[in-house]
Amino acid sequence: MASDSSPTNFNNGPSSPEDSFSSPIGNTLSSPGDGTRRRRRGRSSTPSAFATPPSNRSRFASSDGTPTPTRSRQRGGGGGGRRASVSSTPVAATPTSTDDAPMSSEGGEGYNGDDVRPTFVWGTNISVEDVNEAIQRFLKHFREQSSQSDGLHVEGKYERAIKQVIEIEGDSLDVDAHDVFDYDPDLYTKMVRFPLEVLAIFDLVLMNMVSRINPLFEKHIQTRIFNLKTSTSMRNLNPSDIERIVSMKGMIIRCSAIIPEIREAIFRCLVCGYCSDPVAVERGRITEPTVCLREECQAKNSMTLVHNRCRFADKQIVRLQETPDEIPEGGTPHTVSLLMHDKLVDAGKPGDRVEVTGIYRAMSVRVGPTQRTVKSLFKTYVDCLHIKKTDKSRMLAEDAMDVDNSQGRIAEEIHFDEEKVAQLKELSKKPDIYERLTKSLAPNIWELDDVKKGLLCQLFGGNALQMASGASFRGDINILLVGDPGTSKSQLLQYIHKLSPRGIYTSGRGSSAVGLTAYVTKDPETGETVLESGALVLSDRGICCIDEFDKMSDNARSMLHEVMEQQTVSIAKAGIIASLNARTSVLACANPSGSRYNPRLSVIDNIHLPPTLLSRFDLIYLILDKADEQTDRRLAKHIVSLHFENPESMEQDALDLSTLTAYVSYARKNIHPQLSDEAAEELTRGYVEMRRRGNFPGSSKKVITATPRQIESLIRLSEALARIRFSELVEKRDVMEAFRLLEVAMQQSATDHSTGTIDMDLITTGVSASERMRRESLLQATRNIIMEKLQIGGPSMRLLELLEELKKQNTGEIHLPDLRNAVASLASEGFVTMHGDNVKRS
Amino acid sequence: MVGLPYDFLANPLGVVRSTFEKAVASGSDPASFDGKDWGIIDLFNDFLSHQPTLSRVHSATLRLVQPNTLVRFRGMIQDMFGNELYVGAYKVFLLLSDGSVWRTNKFMDVAQFPIDSSADKRMWERRLLYCVPVPGQNAWTETSSEAFMNHYMDWTSQQREKRRRADEESNDCEVSGDEVQCSPDTKKMREDEHPSLPSLSHGAMAESSSSGMSIVPGLDGSFLVKIYDSLESDLKLNDVFEFVGVLASDPVPQVDNEDCEFFEDPLHHLPPNKVPRLHCFIHRKLAVQDFLQNNPIIEPKPHLVKEIRDALLRHLTTVLGNDNVAAHFMLLHLLSRVHARVDALAVGKLSLNLTCFSKENVSVFGNLLSLTVKNLLPFTHCIPLTVEYLNTTPLAPRKDYDTNRLVTGVLQLAEGSHIIVDETKLEAGTLNSMGVENARLLKNLMELQKLEYDFKYYKMEMATDIQLLVLSEGKSNILPADVVVPFRPSVVSSIDAVVEESLQAWRWYLATVRLLPHSIESEMQKVVENDLVAARQADRSLNPQDFSRWLTMGRLMSLSFGETSLSLEHWQMVKELEKLRSERL
Repeated sequence: MASDSSPTNFNNGPSSPEDSFSSPIGNTLSSPGDGTRRRRRGRSSTPSAFATPPSNRSRFASSDGTPTPTRSRQRGGGGGGRRASVSSTPVAATPTSTDDAPMSSEGGEGYNGDDVRPTFVWGTNISVEDVNEAIQRFLKHFREQSSQSDGLHVEGKYERAIKQVIEIEGDSLDVDAHDVFDYDPDLYTKMVRFPLEVLAIFDLVLMNMVSRINPLFEKHIQTRIFNLKTSTSMRNLNPSDIERIVSMKGMIIRCSAIIPEIREAIFRCLVCGYCSDPVAVERGRITEPTVCLREECQAKNSMTLVHNRCRFADKQIVRLQETPDEIPEGGTPHTVSLLMHDKLVDAGKPGDRVEVTGIYRAMSVRVGPTQRTVKSLFKTYVDCLHIKKTDKSRMLAEDAMDVDNSQGRIAEEIHFDEEKVAQLKELSKKPDIYERLTKSLAPNIWELDDVKKGLLCQLFGGNALQMASGASFRGDINILLVGDPGTSKSQLLQYIHKLSPRGIYTSGRGSSAVGLTAYVTKDPETGETVLESGALVLSDRGICCIDEFDKMSDNARSMLHEVMEQQTVSIAKAGIIASLNARTSVLACANPSGSRYNPRLSVIDNIHLPPTLLSRFDLIYLILDKADEQTDRRLAKHIVSLHFENPESMEQDALDLSTLTAYVSYARKNIHPQLSDEAAEELTRGYVEMRRRGNFPGSSKKVITATPRQIESLIRLSEALARIRFSELVEKRDVMEAFRLLEVAMQQSATDHSTGTIDMDLITTGVSASERMRRESLLQATRNIIMEKLQIGGPSMRLLELLEELKKQNTGEIHLPDLRNAVASLASEGFVTMHGDNVKRS
Repeated sequence: MVGLPYDFLANPLGVVRSTFEKAVASGSDPASFDGKDWGIIDLFNDFLSHQPTLSRVHSATLRLVQPNTLVRFRGMIQDMFGNELYVGAYKVFLLLSDGSVWRTNKFMDVAQFPIDSSADKRMWERRLLYCVPVPGQNAWTETSSEAFMNHYMDWTSQQREKRRRADEESNDCEVSGDEVQCSPDTKKMREDEHPSLPSLSHGAMAESSSSGMSIVPGLDGSFLVKIYDSLESDLKLNDVFEFVGVLASDPVPQVDNEDCEFFEDPLHHLPPNKVPRLHCFIHRKLAVQDFLQNNPIIEPKPHLVKEIRDALLRHLTTVLGNDNVAAHFMLLHLLSRVHARVDALAVGKLSLNLTCFSKENVSVFGNLLSLTVKNLLPFTHCIPLTVEYLNTTPLAPRKDYDTNRLVTGVLQLAEGSHIIVDETKLEAGTLNSMGVENARLLKNLMELQKLEYDFKYYKMEMATDIQLLVLSEGKSNILPADVVVPFRPSVVSSIDAVVEESLQAWRWYLATVRLLPHSIESEMQKVVENDLVAARQADRSLNPQDFSRWLTMGRLMSLSFGETSLSLEHWQMVKELEKLRSERL
């Protein structure tokens, strides 16, 4: 796309296009002879050429000798090249002359060459003829840079577009203002400053071209300008912008009903029935003929409007309001009225975020409808030319974690200006970027570095994968924080919520299943069933932060199973069966069940969460409050400084929030790391080792230290880590760090406290291997006792008696519930039957 | 217009015009005045510095004030209507001299001369602010003419003072600087006629408007203020400002309906006869001190501060039924303010939750307490927390797109406001969605000192600085306060009437002391750190919030003595206080 490459060309010549012509010598130097050659190379270089050094160097190497600004040459070269391709004779002389012709007209004031006295638009220095020509040239000759590579006979972008419009009988032609600027900055300037005049000429030229192509085409085609070089913020609109093209972003808050606006009226005489010719609107009003125009009749005041023969156009008034990010602190959002005509009517609905291009106009307020005196006040509005929905304005709403990357990606509206991108890239090159980002994350929460690193990975996310078979692997990383009260878990959550592209913050206590997922409700007015999205659906492609996860009802939690692995929410209710996307990362935090973490119990016992759910978390961190004087001292220092020092002085070299957000957004959008062979190997090796760790030599005991879920997590984590470095390749060190992160998290949560080894079964089933062994032996012992004491069909035995027997034999402590479990499993084998507390051999 | 070139009070617009014409005549290009003025603000500043007595407009007096005169108005910015374009300067063709002259419309709603649509004109813009009287403003902040007088007495000589006293009943004018005081008779006369006649002298003018000072403007005291040439960052939502400007007179002609439908003008709902327009020359942000009527002490001297502190503490103790600990916490609470924000944390707030109130004693102590707070702080509010209240009362402001206005909520308050939330009335019941939302808002306000404004399509967080006092039976879970103090009254002592002077001293004390700068010596810092570490080693349940609270209390404690750095003594006091408190829990 042209918009991709054009900013690169002009990034150093922003607002004053005249600058680029300040040195005509540069142009003449570049145009003849080898200029053609250079241009050819320029033409063949697609936008990506800017990233590849060779062609770049050759372009710039030749410029070393001449002190002219590079941009003028680039411009001249680019423009000339395009034209040269039209003339199809790449002789040196031809491009030179074509090069010069536009130069003279683009030179701004100098129209000396014209013999004819130019007609100027009143009050301006715009010559109608010149503008007319410039527009014609633009429409005919403009070529997109990317299309220059293929052949010489490429049809111009707008010639093609015009044909398309004719074909579909459309009524408007979208013109990218960036294209205008690239081709003819002077025309762009004139257009922005005097849009009323220039656009009128534009329409005229357009109609001429259309009638040349298809003389029978009668519809009027309007020019719709969009994508201005600069976008104004609503609160910066001021009187000097009046009658200029402005472009602004905002949110539609209100649309009026469609107003039919009369364009042509037809009157009929009530006396004789004579119909007048259509009367056009003049200055917003229609003059009703007072006398019948038919000579025979001439009745006075007899004309009446024939409604159904008049021509009306749609009109709508829309209010646009600033989006929250543009509102300064302590301000309220500004609003602007937009006037929409014809096709633009209903182009946006309230709540849409749009970018609007239009002419800013002021309208005097009349004192009364009938009076001619005007008040000193003016109402302002924007006469809308083009409206573009930028619904993705919350950054990175569409991003790499999107599985279906077909259309959506291209339509994305996030633009990072080059300066910012360069700055971010610079940042990413820093060797300590990982540490720095970690430090910048919630800087007022000290320590917890590994947790922060995990959260960082969650922010960046892994790559989602869709197999040909239809199976998909999520790229989102889910994290659970479990910890003692007062370990700033909630603060971390709040912080991530603030940072994440789209996030919902909810508390488990107040959430119900439907509140999290989706629910069906009857619209009170229409009676239709409506689907209302819950928090998880709303945070699609974002992070859903759930505080007090443990307080959540079981019902609500069970809904999370689907969300966290399949990333969809399925609803089957009252006539609606739907599967909604909920591609969200879940960041949950929970308190241990006994308010304080009991290190003697397993995670499962500490947090009363079903293991099925726990295993869906990639990382589970235990944030424990350890009695460590060093930590306490740091905490004390931190808090004292919080209260008594200038907060700014504390956090140097941490990135500010906006940079961090931009960094994350950019990475998520543009970096899609792939596993390198080396990394893949390391992954396999590490995984095997992790699994092997569970097998103690010479022991029949089987401890599972890793499951396939973990390897998926590891891949996601290493991808995220590569993304943090803006690297397209997952390297070995990423994998190693991922292993470390996982291990840190696992060690805290999946350590079997009775043996000290990592046991994934703790997470997946809630029962550790050693516990399972114990149960096994109990079962065996019980079986033996029952075999001993009871005969088939004999009398029954009470459980307590059984317990006594067991205790006699066994040195280990046995509790009744354990025994009950054992007997129950024996019963399921059909070995015994249970009636209440009585056990009977069957 | 005796002697002076301009009559600032009675005819400020005349000043505007004549200075404009002079400026144009002296060769300035009117176009260059956009965003600037031609020295007018300086003139008015100058005038006001000599004439500090310009009366404030209040609702009651508004009707007495003549339009097109200079007035002073205090209010909180409740809503912003954006910018308004107007014809700033335009050319008028004079019939007599067949030339054209530049005229200005600045500070005016309606052009003096009809503007020809084809005439040369310059567009300027001004900001529209919707201001209301500060919510919860207490009566004592209103300058009654008496208070005004007292103020003046301080300034003027003893002799005059005596004379004043005699006059006091006749409710009159004050004199500014060296102006001659008007006699009671003339005053009365004037009052009968009309407050401000152009022919009166400046002093009289000032005076008459001053007596008309407290307005109940229009219906609810709101004003539409038009601000010229100010930086956007100067005026923020919920700031309290004093505006000096021209009261627009001419009822703005009704805009035809057609246009209104299209543009949903908020002004359409605010007819000028209900909401007066003020064209502002000068605006000044007000702090709490500006609401004190007379400052007994100019400088916070340590011994004076200590004296006042002790007296206030005694008073609070009495009010709280001889509960000394609660009184101490109360004092610290009243001095708290958010002095910094680090990420989501608001540092310096100290919300207080007095527990152990019962239905019976809340009526006694609760009322007493709220009365006391009312008397001490300029802006106070009381929220009786009931299920019904939560379910029905909108707490947060919300944007109404039908009228395009920000509909205020109970919690849209000026900085430094105080709220008493009485939770004792809360009974079991079901909260509807609004109730849940309100409870959440209150909690956020308490924990983060932030309030979400509802803009329908999104919410916007506004930072607030509001002191919150919760009265409850048990520890409030809806409103997690920083400090929970079980309230232990011993006696219900009757409160002696407080002398006005001491009230004034207390008000001054609370307003001034809390703004003092504060720091910590590095030695002291060490001590504090060690204490914190030791405390945490001893009790693992202490969390950062507890530490934060201690430090906040330390800061407030030393501030309460008028000192700017934390001393060991005060730190010990804080620890002692915390100990006493935890014994009660």
